Amino acid sequence: MPSFSYNDMTFTVAPRGDRWDISYALPNGASALVGAGLFKGLAEAEAAARARALIKTIFPVGIKSVGPDVAHPNTIGDLKIVGPDVTHPNFIYWTKDSVSCPKQL
Amino acid sequence: MEIKGSVALVTGGGNGIGEAVVKHLARQGARVAVVDMVQKNIDRVVKDIQDLGGEAIGIQANVTSEADTARYIKGTLEAFGQLNIAVSCAGIIRDGTMLSLDKETGQVSKKLDLAKWQAVIDTNLTGTFLCMRDAAEAMVNGGWEGLLVPISSVNKAGQVGQLNYSSAKVADALMPKIIVGEFLMRGIRKIRCVAIAPGYTATPMLTGMNQEALKAILEDVHLGRLVAPEEIASLIGYCVENEAINATTIEITGGLCYPKGIAK
Ligand SMILES: NC(=O)c1ccc[n+]([C@@H]2O[C@H](COP(=O)([O-])OP(=O)(O)OC[C@H]3O[C@@H](n4cnc5c(N)ncnc54)[C@H](O)[C@@H]3O)[C@@H](O)[C@H]2O)c1
Repeated sequence: MPSFSYNDMTFTVAPRGDRWDISYALPNGASALVGAGLFKGLAEAEAAARARALIKTIFPVGIKSVGPDVAHPNTIGDLKIVGPDVTHPNFIYWTKDSVSCPKQL
Repeated sequence: MEIKGSVALVTGGGNGIGEAVVKHLARQGARVAVVDMVQKNIDRVVKDIQDLGGEAIGIQANVTSEADTARYIKGTLEAFGQLNIAVSCAGIIRDGTMLSLDKETGQVSKKLDLAKWQAVIDTNLTGTFLCMRDAAEAMVNGGWEGLLVPISSVNKAGQVGQLNYSSAKVADALMPKIIVGEFLMRGIRKIRCVAIAPGYTATPMLTGMNQEALKAILEDVHLGRLVAPEEIASLIGYCVENEAINATTIEITGGLCYPKGIAK
């Protein structure tokens, strides 16, 4: 039963008769189906490769907004400023300026 | 065209009429792609189809987006290798009269929001156009037999409080004549287009409607009840199988009449 991680999610490809089901783990620990009864008659390795390609199409990688980190607001007087959750593993740091976003003077 | 062995995609397949269409086609042996914006509804419907012993995939997408449309078509082709039936069920209502007046002054107190207008046009008209266009492209390039099904509404006739919705649905109802006419011009013979115009149907969409108004409307339905989503699904199944039905819009309303019994 091949399992793989993609785009922050864990997918599993499991046989059902001569077909394959693809499921993914939900944040609450339960699982949901991406597809049921697919790839009739394919061997495990081929079904897993087809599943990977399908998942890459269905769940495109994009920018995920992370946060807000409501537990750690900055305060100015009674004004609370809530920033992104910088401790989240998906938070991306840029160490240099992006060329697509040049510094404006 | 036989349903068994065909591949269908249904936008709005996570709920209401779309869900009934997905399940009806899956029961008849079609492989189905459930396209919707709400992931938990997609998950539920795909699970139900698994329990039926059917074949399905779920794709979360916003039908108003051209990129999402390309993605759900590609996902369907990657899973099943072909596409034969595309049903555009995703739809919304955002009701309101164009103008509201202040009772005391008689002056305009409120106008229909552009946001309410645009959301309905984007989902119910542009979303249907994108689905029909890209599904037809896949069918032509793949050389497959096909049926395109825009979902219109009986309110294409014009419903007060629904300037946005009726405008979109009358345009959806026109699609079969134009699309099939263009197919004839271009020598595309294997793909048909039939729109379905439901009357008031028992789905969650109606829970967003004024319930008093709904009760009053039911008095004008000859059948005396709401249409069941499964009844619409079985009509679509029939349209798939009967290739003489083409370039038209079929109403399924239970006999909705104007007051005094004049059929709508
Ligand atoms: N229920 C009725 O009485 C009735 C009558 C005539 C026509 N219709 C039409 O039938 C179709 C289905 O209606 P229903 O009653 O089943 O509605 P519904 O609200 O039960 O289901 C509509 C589905 O479309 C999905 N959806 C909405 N916007 C979307 C978007 N931008 N992208 C992807 N998915 C989106 C929703 O998540 C939902 O699952 C609609 O086009 C509606 O206008 C319904």
